[in-house]
Amino acid sequence: MDNLGKVLRVNLTEGTVRSESLCEKTVRNFIGGRGYATKVLYDEVPKGTDPLSPANKLIFANGPLTGKGAPSAGRYMVITKSPLTGYIASSNSGGFWGAELARAGWFMIILEGKSPKPVYLWVRDDKVEIRDAGAIWGKDGHEATDDLLAAVGDGQAKVACIGTAGEQLSVIAAIMNDKTRAAGRSGVGAVMGSKNLKGIVVRGSARPPVQDAEGMKAALASSMEKLKTNPVTSQGLPTYGTAVLVNVINQTGGYPMNNWQGAYFPEADEQSGETLARDFLVKRYSCFGCPIGCGRVTKLGEKIGEGPEYETIFAFGVCCGVARLEPIIEANNICNELGLDTISAGVTIAAAMELYEKGYIRKEELEGGPELRFGNGDAVTYWTRKMGLGEGFGKKLAEGSYRLCEMYGHPEFSMTVKKQEMPAYDGRAIQGIGLNYATSNRGGCHVRGYTISPEILGLPEKLDPTDIESKPAWVSIFQNLTAAIDASGMCLFTSFALGADDYGAFLKAATGFDYDGAETLKAGERIWNIERLFNLREGLDPLKEDTLPERLLKEPIPGGPSKGMVSRLSEMLPNYYKYRGWDEKGIPTAGKLAELGLN
Amino acid sequence: MIKVLFFATIRDYTGVKETGAEGSRTVMELLLNLARVYGQKFTEEAFEEGGISDRVIVLVNGRHIAHTGGGDTPLADGDTVAIFPIIGGG
Repeated sequence: MDNLGKVLRVNLTEGTVRSESLCEKTVRNFIGGRGYATKVLYDEVPKGTDPLSPANKLIFANGPLTGKGAPSAGRYMVITKSPLTGYIASSNSGGFWGAELARAGWFMIILEGKSPKPVYLWVRDDKVEIRDAGAIWGKDGHEATDDLLAAVGDGQAKVACIGTAGEQLSVIAAIMNDKTRAAGRSGVGAVMGSKNLKGIVVRGSARPPVQDAEGMKAALASSMEKLKTNPVTSQGLPTYGTAVLVNVINQTGGYPMNNWQGAYFPEADEQSGETLARDFLVKRYSCFGCPIGCGRVTKLGEKIGEGPEYETIFAFGVCCGVARLEPIIEANNICNELGLDTISAGVTIAAAMELYEKGYIRKEELEGGPELRFGNGDAVTYWTRKMGLGEGFGKKLAEGSYRLCEMYGHPEFSMTVKKQEMPAYDGRAIQGIGLNYATSNRGGCHVRGYTISPEILGLPEKLDPTDIESKPAWVSIFQNLTAAIDASGMCLFTSFALGADDYGAFLKAATGFDYDGAETLKAGERIWNIERLFNLREGLDPLKEDTLPERLLKEPIPGGPSKGMVSRLSEMLPNYYKYRGWDEKGIPTAGKLAELGLN
Repeated sequence: MIKVLFFATIRDYTGVKETGAEGSRTVMELLLNLARVYGQKFTEEAFEEGGISDRVIVLVNGRHIAHTGGGDTPLADGDTVAIFPIIGGG
């Protein structure tokens, strides 16, 4: 298995580094990335471990395809126990860092313990050093990246680091790589900060080997044809980026407004991908080896930045009642610099706005800062910065909306699942995505099972968003396939054009194992179940926690095309459990675990 | 009056973000009328093999026409029709 790279195990308490081999059986069963690292976490981090304690482990994991000839294969995962949810944190990022790690000959980095002082890791091929980071602790991610590259004397190296938010242990802190790409969700940045680890700098000099070069070439030719002819990957995403979703989700009546108090925003076009392209776009950004190029390089005044993505536009825009792109772009740039998850940050500010407008947060608490009122763009940018720096009232906001709303005695205003903020689709208008939010192993998340693709975009088939019969199966299959794609190192967006058979062909070429479409889906299902087992061991109560906020279950959408709708989760959940081979309490049965080899 | 909204690259073909339409009784009739106004590029995007192409998403009052009768979806005064090219995101 050494042609896939080795495992770097770093003990930050003792200041030691060790190289290990990958376990062939684990690659065969869990692929890599999200799968392999979750298995490691499951085996090595005991039940009840405090996520911000030295006993938690932080794993950076590539897939077998990261850095190799497959399209859009620059992805890596950050896996740990989440300080936000208390369950599995499984954060995905693109850019160029993962590919560089592969070139350096490493598949995975496991970080253990806690350094007595701030440090960074310098990985140059097989030479690994733990170095003092005292001079850059306290700096934002952009400055830190520049300083780290200067310190190692190599401008071609790639950096993954935390900003001030991770140092402050904000449970919604991100890990940023290549300055503007984020392993955003579930507070992985806080875990890195808790270990006194500022960054990991990587430089590799080898071309990562492939088991079957001919097989890889054939798979590449076939998939490039599909990517180049599919309208999403060849036109929609490259032209407008993910922001193109603003108008279509709004026209469906599922664009969550004012902390989910509405779902249709008359001013949505002001923050759309069309407006972004016309007024702020400089050029496209493509991650490593990606023919799609959905990234946006944008200019606000004199400042050049990357983004915002659709989720960020929702979080700082419609969710906070803000229409214009200017404050949204500024808040996005702040999050990139300070290392914050844009979804959780924006939805937390929205929760704070509802608390403030209803009189639970008092004006004096804002210390003269802009009032937390829906529609106030200045409040969005000001409080995002305060959150990222952990200053004043911002420190409370940096706790995320669940803890914030609990503090004020009104948990019902926290639009979260398992304490993680929900993304940009209203589960009352779109039933499948609601089911996916409720059952996602990492809390409120859309990418775990992106059923928006069939429910709104009509790919691979046109599903009615209001239908409930079809959703348990579709959500399960999407969740399984996504887990496998995440584990492989390829980008989820290739799945608009590619199917399980395509991923199987790539995995077979990269690993030599006999993957096909069915085996790929099975591995994905296995990954989903081991994540579930991890969460259950940590105390997950499915009947209480596989749910949505009361607002989505009980308050009908007040206006717009989806007026009157609520989530019909209770009608879908039993069938979802059944489809997955779990019992009526949401626990994987002995039979299912035996089938997956997880018993 | 039926309100017709255009999005993304469809706006490049029509030159406008929205228009009003009278008299179209079904989505197919409406699209044919729009094709006459907006010309070849719009027509090529909206139609394929005599039917409405898979490259456009057409919503009537927020509902995809695939679930309401396709081209035969009836239209009434006060309806909003939104036309998108196939797009994607996260």
